[in-house]
Amino acid sequence: MRTATRLVDALGTWCPVPIHLVERAARRASPGDVLELLADDPLIEVDLPAWCHSSGNELLELRRQGSDYVGRVAVTRGRDGGRPPRDRARGRSASG
Amino acid sequence: MSGGAYLDHAAATPLDPRVREAMEPFLGGAGSPSSIHEWGRHPAEALERARGQVAALVGADEDGLIFTSGAVEARNLAVKGLLAGNRALGRHVVASAVEHPATLAACRTAERAGAPLDLVRVDGEGRIAPAALAEAVREDTALVAVVHGQPDIGTLQDVPALAAAARAARPEARVAVDAGETAGLVPVDMASMDADALVVGGTALGAPAWAGALAVRPGARLHPLIEGGVEEGGKRAGAEALPAIVALGAAAEIAREEMAARAARMEALGERLAAGLLAVPDVRLNGPRRGRIPGNVHVSAGWVEGESLALAMAARGVAVSPGSACTAHGGKAAPTLEAIGLEPPWTHSAVLLTLRWTTTEAEVDAAVAAFADAVAALRAMSPLAP
Repeated sequence: MRTATRLVDALGTWCPVPIHLVERAARRASPGDVLELLADDPLIEVDLPAWCHSSGNELLELRRQGSDYVGRVAVTRGRDGGRPPRDRARGRSASG
Repeated sequence: MSGGAYLDHAAATPLDPRVREAMEPFLGGAGSPSSIHEWGRHPAEALERARGQVAALVGADEDGLIFTSGAVEARNLAVKGLLAGNRALGRHVVASAVEHPATLAACRTAERAGAPLDLVRVDGEGRIAPAALAEAVREDTALVAVVHGQPDIGTLQDVPALAAAARAARPEARVAVDAGETAGLVPVDMASMDADALVVGGTALGAPAWAGALAVRPGARLHPLIEGGVEEGGKRAGAEALPAIVALGAAAEIAREEMAARAARMEALGERLAAGLLAVPDVRLNGPRRGRIPGNVHVSAGWVEGESLALAMAARGVAVSPGSACTAHGGKAAPTLEAIGLEPPWTHSAVLLTLRWTTTEAEVDAAVAAFADAVAALRAMSPLAP
């Protein structure tokens, strides 16, 4: 059973900052860790699934909680940058 | 200055040579902590090492530690950021009447925007009563702000008791603790203080005044003041002031090891200084004799104006602050002195002397002699002095 190991608090920040924070947390995490994202930028509804798809990490959940969004991501890659292969090759970080 | 004394350490304090040595490699070097290339690795490691050092000093979670440009920015971030992130809790703000001017100003700004604000009164030595704090907390209180060590008169508050009182009145309310003048001088532990946010300042540590941090409990919900970047977890955008941050980290690590010895020395010097100043007729100590920030001595001298006294002491080679290290200009009464019930002329006749562990007995004695001489000279010119 997976357990959340790292809270990513992106409250009060706007795209692309929340997804950058998720990417940074994924880079520091180990495969199997779960990131729990707290955000209030509605664009996270688009950004988080897109980032999970492109980075190969697994989106477990994304839901509304009042005016917030709570996302849970299972880190499958971790420590390799968590960035899409295209961006790693270009030596820059992904944008949201 | 030969034969003089620098007793204005709350305003700015000389760098510990070990701190200077730690920060110097980061003055003007290439590479940003945010860079993904090799040049960014060393700065990034230094940034995270400093984060760990400061977090360890105050018992904070490393991930929740945000570096700022000093304690004043951290105070603003605590008040404004917690209120913005916790609108669902309500808008009511409770603060003590003796908060740092930056905290009071941030609370006033919130009030101007519609947040009800209650300032809790203190006793004659500047202490906040837990019962009075709890009484001010309402069902819509979002934030309770308390200062651990009062910057002017040095009163140390029983923060765990105050936080417990606030939590008993409303568990959800956020508690912001200002340890900007105390972290590094006396033990500060975020967990035992039950703080949601805790301010750290550079000068109390022997780091530059332009270094500071806000430690935030994970889940406390803080919005940034400065937006637009991922630096500091998105809570404080903009390039990191790496020399200041490294200095704060190095100073925090040194303080953890040397705090007890420093405090003992500063308390002894403070006692010597207070005894010397109080030997001058019609001089009163503001704040408690015991239970104050080590090295903080705040006195009022009857029939003498504080700014004139500070200037007269400077002319005698001794640096002090008039009334408050933070509001040293303008000729206004320090709000803290009014809060403890003082009236003119005591509110206008105060000077603040602040020591550090590097202060010598000779400096203390020079300050006492300069104070006595300056007070006598100014009283001789005063039409009000008896």
